[in-house]
Amino acid sequence: MTDTVLIVDDEESVRRTFQEWLASALPGARVFAVPDAESALRVANANAVDLAVLDWNLGSGSDGLRLLEDLVEFRPDVVAILVTGFAHQATPLDALRMGVRDYLDKNQDLNRDTFVSAVRRQLDRIRPSKQQRELNRRLAAFREAVDKVLPIVQTSAAFNDPVPLPEAVKSLLRFVIRGTKAADGALIVRHTTADGAESTTAYGSDGETLPTPTIPFGRSLAASVISFQEPVALNDFDPKTLGPVELLPFEANRSCILAATLPVGSETVVVVELFDKAAPGFTDEDRRLLSSAAEVGADLLRQAVAERQTHKLLFDAVDAALEATTNLSEAMPASPPDDSPPPAVIERLKEGLSSDSNAVADADTTLRLVEAVRTLALKHGPSAVDHCIRVVNNLRKLLDELTGVN
Amino acid sequence: MTETLPTVFDEIFALLTPESIFRDARATGEGVAVAVIDSGVERSVLEEKFRGAGTPILTIEGAVFRPTGPALPYTGHQSSPHGTTVADIILTLAPRVKLYSGDVFGPTGSCEVETVIAALRHAIDVWNVKVVNLSLGVPEHKLQQLPRRQQLQRAIEEAYFRDVLVFAAAHNEHPLTRSYPAAFAPPLISVDKGLFDDPLRFAYKLREQVEFQAHGKGYLGPLAREPATSWATPHLAGIAARILSLKPDLKPFEIKTILYWLFRSADGARVI
Repeated sequence: MTDTVLIVDDEESVRRTFQEWLASALPGARVFAVPDAESALRVANANAVDLAVLDWNLGSGSDGLRLLEDLVEFRPDVVAILVTGFAHQATPLDALRMGVRDYLDKNQDLNRDTFVSAVRRQLDRIRPSKQQRELNRRLAAFREAVDKVLPIVQTSAAFNDPVPLPEAVKSLLRFVIRGTKAADGALIVRHTTADGAESTTAYGSDGETLPTPTIPFGRSLAASVISFQEPVALNDFDPKTLGPVELLPFEANRSCILAATLPVGSETVVVVELFDKAAPGFTDEDRRLLSSAAEVGADLLRQAVAERQTHKLLFDAVDAALEATTNLSEAMPASPPDDSPPPAVIERLKEGLSSDSNAVADADTTLRLVEAVRTLALKHGPSAVDHCIRVVNNLRKLLDELTGVN
Repeated sequence: MTETLPTVFDEIFALLTPESIFRDARATGEGVAVAVIDSGVERSVLEEKFRGAGTPILTIEGAVFRPTGPALPYTGHQSSPHGTTVADIILTLAPRVKLYSGDVFGPTGSCEVETVIAALRHAIDVWNVKVVNLSLGVPEHKLQQLPRRQQLQRAIEEAYFRDVLVFAAAHNEHPLTRSYPAAFAPPLISVDKGLFDDPLRFAYKLREQVEFQAHGKGYLGPLAREPATSWATPHLAGIAARILSLKPDLKPFEIKTILYWLFRSADGARVI
């Protein structure tokens, strides 16, 4: 995370000196040096300034404190060091309120050491909150992306297969791997059905299914992790101290592991595992990131799992209806064929569709559309359905033009 | 300047030292029944470990508790490794205890309050244990319904009035949410985690809902080195089992007092 320092001083020699001091003492920092308030605001508009080193007297009637007031508009969290030749003229309370955290007096002890140490002190002080802000920003962006994609998932799931679980897994793992700088990751999904049948599936960082030999889940590392409410980091991972745990193939030979549980649902246990971050391994910041991402990821996975369950309901309804239809035809072989699905089928389909609370169309509308297309195909064949699709598309274009929607 | 004469308490303090209690060859947990209400215990792993260490353990028994139906037979397996790590800590400190495993979690890592209560009652009524280890936390939101909270509290109080010592992990890390049953501190012993240079060391650290602090690292399993109240709790339970093997009829408040005195006489256990 790069620190950004903005130096504002109307004296060119002072600016150059400050810039040289910081360039040699803080080589990783980005340093901007500008002569006046206007240039300073331009820099602040385009860059996330962490610390401003402001001259008290900027010339032309402008002063550093007033500039700071304007800088706060661009960057509310900016802190400042005020450089002044008139320390007694400063107004400490106002200055503190506005974000001035230190003074340097040009006339007393202002040298490379005092300057660099003052800058370093402030950067060190603001770093934790800056990291937290960065984390929040990344999480917000991730959540926004999830919020955007979910309606698409739901819409497509209404008529087609749901977005497959591996896709949801891939985006989640990609986010946490990038955020923590882990080398690799995996997601273990353990599902227990209502009749007690259990299955364990593991996904890799590309969403691919990983081999999971028949190790009882209760002996897995993932089962250990679910006992902890917080992410756990194994930076001194020693495979010799496994005790009651057996590793899955993709967990073997790892230098360090960070793992957390995703609270997806009572029937589904999901554990995310990250592997092999470079020494010294996973940090407390990584734990916090994973903890927050686990909450967002749980939403995503819950949705993916729920979509599957919705479709399971639909399939169940169709199965039940087919069975009922068979019995009916055996009982009344002479009955004339009925084109419409039996009411029981419609009810079960409605039940399945209604269980998706986020669907864009209600269950009745969806079923009427599906039934209309089905009847069309039955009576007039696939070409009639193609014509129907063309009509729908033409209608959409017409409405788009009329309403101005692209 | 007047010299303060020693009182009877000073004499007791002088006798109650960690050395006199824990170095007694009889302080092995012998004759003490301990229930680990957790995620089950992998019996063969512990039997093998302690046999290898030259301190064979008594056969671990137990039962499996689920939200509905009667207790199921214990087959010697864990639902997840947590319970085995907890049991290992107790057996490391007190290898001669009779251990019972109450598996309440199942593979999902969570359970209902009613399941914990059923296991607790079973441990007291059927197994006749003297010590119960609860390295678990029930978050406050699961006890929003007052009757549920009262049921759990009543079960903990019943244990107290039956002379059963209940050790519970304090707040399980959460900074805001109170965690039960540790929040019912007076009738039980709530334990927070600390790091000590000797697993037999502990500290009396009185603050809201917490009285004691014990060693927070375990010995078995990849997550045992992760400091946790889950591992601190069985350390203190194991210490209590050692004390009880010297005097089995001690009552919960007597054990609590002895633990407090031991801490004081050790001149304040050193916390790292």
